[in-house]
Amino acid sequence: MIRKLLFRHQDIAQLVIAIIGAFLGMTFLLTSIHYLIKVNEFGEGADILGPNTIIVQKKVSTSNTLNIAKSDFTKRELENLRKESFIIDVQPVETNNFDVSFETADKLVPRFRSDVFIQTVDPDFLDVKSEKWKWKEGDSIVPIIMPRDFLVMLNTFMSASGIPQVSDELAMDIKFKFTLSNETEKEWANVRIIGFTNEVSSILVPQSFMSWANKKYGIDDNQRITQVMISGKESEFGLVEEMLKKKHLESRNGQMVIGRLKSMVGTLILIVLGISIIAVFVSGLVLIQYLQLLLSKNTYEVRTLLRLGYSPKLLTRHFFLYFTKVFGVVALLSLISFVLFKFWLDTLFEEGGLYIGTTFTVTSIASLLAAYGIFAFVSYLNAKKGIYRSNNG
Amino acid sequence: MDIHFENVMPHPLASIEHSSDSIWGSKVSLRAGHKILLNASSGKGKSTFAMTVFGIRTDYDGIVRYDDRDIQSFSVEEWVQIRQRKIATVFQDLQLFHNLSVAENLLLKNHLTDFKSEQEIKNLLAILEIDHKWDDRCGLLSMGQQQRVAIVRALCQPFHWLIMDEPFSHLDDRNSVRCLEMIAKECDAQQAGFVLTSLDDDERFPYDYELKL
Repeated sequence: MIRKLLFRHQDIAQLVIAIIGAFLGMTFLLTSIHYLIKVNEFGEGADILGPNTIIVQKKVSTSNTLNIAKSDFTKRELENLRKESFIIDVQPVETNNFDVSFETADKLVPRFRSDVFIQTVDPDFLDVKSEKWKWKEGDSIVPIIMPRDFLVMLNTFMSASGIPQVSDELAMDIKFKFTLSNETEKEWANVRIIGFTNEVSSILVPQSFMSWANKKYGIDDNQRITQVMISGKESEFGLVEEMLKKKHLESRNGQMVIGRLKSMVGTLILIVLGISIIAVFVSGLVLIQYLQLLLSKNTYEVRTLLRLGYSPKLLTRHFFLYFTKVFGVVALLSLISFVLFKFWLDTLFEEGGLYIGTTFTVTSIASLLAAYGIFAFVSYLNAKKGIYRSNNG
Repeated sequence: MDIHFENVMPHPLASIEHSSDSIWGSKVSLRAGHKILLNASSGKGKSTFAMTVFGIRTDYDGIVRYDDRDIQSFSVEEWVQIRQRKIATVFQDLQLFHNLSVAENLLLKNHLTDFKSEQEIKNLLAILEIDHKWDDRCGLLSMGQQQRVAIVRALCQPFHWLIMDEPFSHLDDRNSVRCLEMIAKECDAQQAGFVLTSLDDDERFPYDYELKL
């Protein structure tokens, strides 16, 4: 009966407009947050390098060849790179300063030997478990991260020798060894592949191994830095790219493509997210105004009910529950349309060759609950304020 | 429950000269279970009195007490309990819901305490000869019929005091007397008192005493 009394002054058209606005806003909010997270996750775990990390070097020109321009980085140049706001960290890539060769050391695999180039990077840049990625003097096996191109080359050799090719997993079981040497000394070290990378052209070894080997077999004490690792901020990869151009630096194209793609899509989704937040805010505001209007139209009814002995808490609850139910239906409809929308978009992305994760993101669902919670709280405050104001009359 | 007025002077009435027997500015007590006529001419504050006792108006100097509690010290929830169980009121402007039926208006009040059965409420309407209006919208009733519905609504709760602000202004003598007798009977059953404000002296009922404004 109270419901009949309090909710008969309804302007259905205004309510429907507010509901449609809130529904669209919530749906886009959910969708944009979900895909913002998914796009940021894109590419993670695909490589051993951390997200938004690239290896850069100076562009090789005729001047470098003629020894007029230097291809190595000075300490000052590294400091200047670190000062850029869109760069999180810059670390030199340490290289071997002695001769290294890499060969198979497994009876089941024919002998294959090649002179190689080994490098090491700060472990913070690597997306690899630390317990696997460590070495200390006396350890019998050196863990390495192998360039995938090297495996392709190895497989080409296997194929030519009439031996079945090896997969990533199998390659990690094959025994290999390094031959470390300088003009006077020579030593062998067993190595094991623990991962592969598409982003680095050389074999990566732990820092401790590189330091030890450089100290023991190094020909020259001065370590030249020809490559550096740069970790850029999310969605600011365009600025990193611009800086590389300006400073005549270059990186592998693949690394830049992912970063550029993520930045571009991320920025677009951020814009949609911004619009969605505004839409949710505005429609929430319209619903709250609708509540205030309803309260104002019901001033006589509310005041009389209070004079008859109805509790302000009870009347507040009636308005609060009505609007939380309305917004609950909106939230539920938004969730359903998000699921349908997501199914369609995931298919669209997949057809376009973008294999982003299809699992639901907790944050997007949490954002829905947060928006619902905020709306419920604001409705309660407004209903309480309106009812208690009537109680003073 | 006694109601005490201690030098109460509503702000809007402060500029008017009040007689020495007026309750405004004096110490007056409404004794529990008594039937009181509050007689005053227009503009002397009859509605202000009803609204003040009921806790709606607080723009006055002095103190109004229920027994020993200053009524301005009551919390919102205490007022809810008082309006449900201690003080019933018939407002001068009746304050009915015109879009609801007579039944809905009465049951809306009765639901708070389930004080009467639906049949008992219908019996009260029958005494006042408006039981056939049970399903009619209040807005369609005459003022006299609406006044009788408002009186029955006030009786649909337990109370210590029934405050009525010119409840018979649209009723003829016969209906007024019938109402008064029914009200007195309900008050006796609850050992409650009532205050009836009126423009004139009322010889139709043996009031316990009369107050002036």
